[in-house]
Amino acid sequence: MTMTSVEGSAAPMRVSAHARKGGLKAHERRVGRLFLLPALAAFTLVILFPFLRALAVAFTRSDLQTPEPIFVGLANFRAILATPEIIGAFVTTAVYVGLATAGTVVLGLGWALILNQSFRGRAVLRAVTLIPWVLPSTVTAFVWGWIFNSRFGVLNAALVGVGAIPYPTAWLSTTGGAMTAVVITKIWFSIPLFMSFFLAGLQSLDREQIDAARVDGAGNFALLRDHILPHLRPVLLVVIVLGVIGNLQHFDTIFALTGGGPVRATSVLSIEVYRRAFDQWDLGMASALGLLWVATIMPAAYFYLRHLLKGA
Amino acid sequence: MVDLTRRDFGGLMAAGAAALAATPAFAQGSNISFMSFSFAEDPNKPLVQKVLDDFKAQSGISVEAVGSAWGDVQKNLLLRQRSKTLPTTAQLSERWLPALATLPEIVDLDQAIGRAKLEAAMDPAVLAMGQVGGKTLAIPLITGSIGMIANKEVLDKAGVGVPKTLAEFRAALVAIRDKVPNSVPFAAVTKNPSAIPLDFMIMVWTHGGRIIDESGKVLINSDAGRAAMAFMAGLMKDRLIAPELDRPDSRRLFAQGASGFYIDAPQARTFARSFSGKGEAADAFVLPIPTPVLKAGDTPRSIQWGHLVCAFKGPGMEGPDSAGVKWLNYLLSDAVQGGFAPALSALPVTKSAQKLPVVQNDPFFKAWAQATGVPLTNEIGIWSNGPELSSILSEEVQAALLGQKTSDAAVASMQSRMEASMAKRG
Repeated sequence: MTMTSVEGSAAPMRVSAHARKGGLKAHERRVGRLFLLPALAAFTLVILFPFLRALAVAFTRSDLQTPEPIFVGLANFRAILATPEIIGAFVTTAVYVGLATAGTVVLGLGWALILNQSFRGRAVLRAVTLIPWVLPSTVTAFVWGWIFNSRFGVLNAALVGVGAIPYPTAWLSTTGGAMTAVVITKIWFSIPLFMSFFLAGLQSLDREQIDAARVDGAGNFALLRDHILPHLRPVLLVVIVLGVIGNLQHFDTIFALTGGGPVRATSVLSIEVYRRAFDQWDLGMASALGLLWVATIMPAAYFYLRHLLKGA
Repeated sequence: MVDLTRRDFGGLMAAGAAALAATPAFAQGSNISFMSFSFAEDPNKPLVQKVLDDFKAQSGISVEAVGSAWGDVQKNLLLRQRSKTLPTTAQLSERWLPALATLPEIVDLDQAIGRAKLEAAMDPAVLAMGQVGGKTLAIPLITGSIGMIANKEVLDKAGVGVPKTLAEFRAALVAIRDKVPNSVPFAAVTKNPSAIPLDFMIMVWTHGGRIIDESGKVLINSDAGRAAMAFMAGLMKDRLIAPELDRPDSRRLFAQGASGFYIDAPQARTFARSFSGKGEAADAFVLPIPTPVLKAGDTPRSIQWGHLVCAFKGPGMEGPDSAGVKWLNYLLSDAVQGGFAPALSALPVTKSAQKLPVVQNDPFFKAWAQATGVPLTNEIGIWSNGPELSSILSEEVQAALLGQKTSDAAVASMQSRMEASMAKRG
């Protein structure tokens, strides 16, 4: 202790003029705050400042013809509402998020149920399952890009080989084909993460409860509906919310696979913001759209944080 | 817990900052920088490096090359402008200059180098590529045109000659499709929004139409515009062109004998040499041809093309004797123009280099000039909202090619969207 109090006195007395004010605990707190400074500086520089800057730019006209931004109020937001192509991007985003999240949850849960069974080679299969997750997402995109490639793709080679199609099809050049490709790619590399969540949940499921249900004559579907899913409900909620947030934010594999095309078939909000900013150089519009994009993520993020805090 | 005083903490921070400042990233490196897309292209990187090395040997000034993919140069320049880290000089495609001319940092080269000197070095038509609003904002580096190239070996395999009209062209494509397995008869660009406009523009001109005139009036929704779109959509329907093709794909298909025709700049020869793996032996099959015309007697169409180098205000561009200006002058010297430009299969921009034997005696340049005739100015690229116009055009062309819209609907939509963009431009 560097500081003490004299019994019976009203105020603590410092034993030495060099003793630290507030005692050791207070000193540790001050040093602790100092250690927070780098993180705070990084947060301010990398997240807070760009966000506030984007917020400000959203209310300006800032493009190639106006390198110095001009305040235009809500004009960018009005322009967004008046542009059918951008409204279409919201619809495309909803379709993509819905399909990718649902597909990953269903397949991730199914795969977790399989890997939760006892069979020879289970450990190896669990490890192999994680491969898509550890691959860089652009590598994943190129792998699937080659699979779907119209001239050299494995899919076309197989289908032409068995006579299912007369000549190679340009899968990434049709609206449905392109959306299917980007959804499949996202599902493929998201399954390991979701499967891990579900598998962790399944590990805590009471085995005796399942055995008892079996004795009572419950089939597989009844087990899933009445025992497994209720048990996994908290995990399921977290996984769905994380899936929605992740898919709303997703950019790289879509950009690498289709660039948002053909035309705008896979132009989700992230791609639309990129195109506005870096293809058309309209930073005002891109920032306004970015804000609306953040607004679509906020409810899911709020729900997730509330769930976390409640859990804590 | 470690007993760390504020003084200790401050000392640590200062030491960290000093260590950071001592790393190479913070060290003073080259005198000036040059952002170049040729430097990012494998076949052309050694050519750029040689120019840099020769300049350093001659002047003692080192130029740091910053490679940037062709499609990313404008984006990188915009980002660097926002973060105030623009390079000293940058290589541009000629059609990007009107958009970049709005950047306040771009240097007026009439002042930096001298208008009289530039006019003495280059023909007015060549110098005009680097001018916007009467000011020279970039020096032309190489010049030429964008026209059609045929693969002689593929034509021979298909048993067809060089087509002169669109009808003959279509017939040749059908023959290639049927006789050369797994080929894309005409490797037109159908993917990249920056490159689709060039192929479509030539088709519109060939059909006698315009996209936008000199006054900014959008003219695409015409009989000629609709006919051009229908012609392209017909090629796609009959598998004579292919989806998902970007210019680099076209170059590879052409060089590897999987395509009969494509549209490119004279650099096509350099790419064919590299991508075929045959080196100069590839020259035998690279055949510049006049773009097929609608009816005999029409003028074959091609687009004016070139690379420019612009400069940005800042260290290295302080005055006529600065390192940046010396670098720009060096790029116009016979050493560069007579070496770099022909090696890139492009024409030099200066009058003196155009008279050099290496240029005069190259049969490819003669064949190219005869085939492409007098090129026309890019109708999209000359506008400051060119990037948006390109996106609109590409989306509508793709929609028609992929059957999402009829040709007429796509052209009508292109007209209205381009008119809105031009109106917003003011």
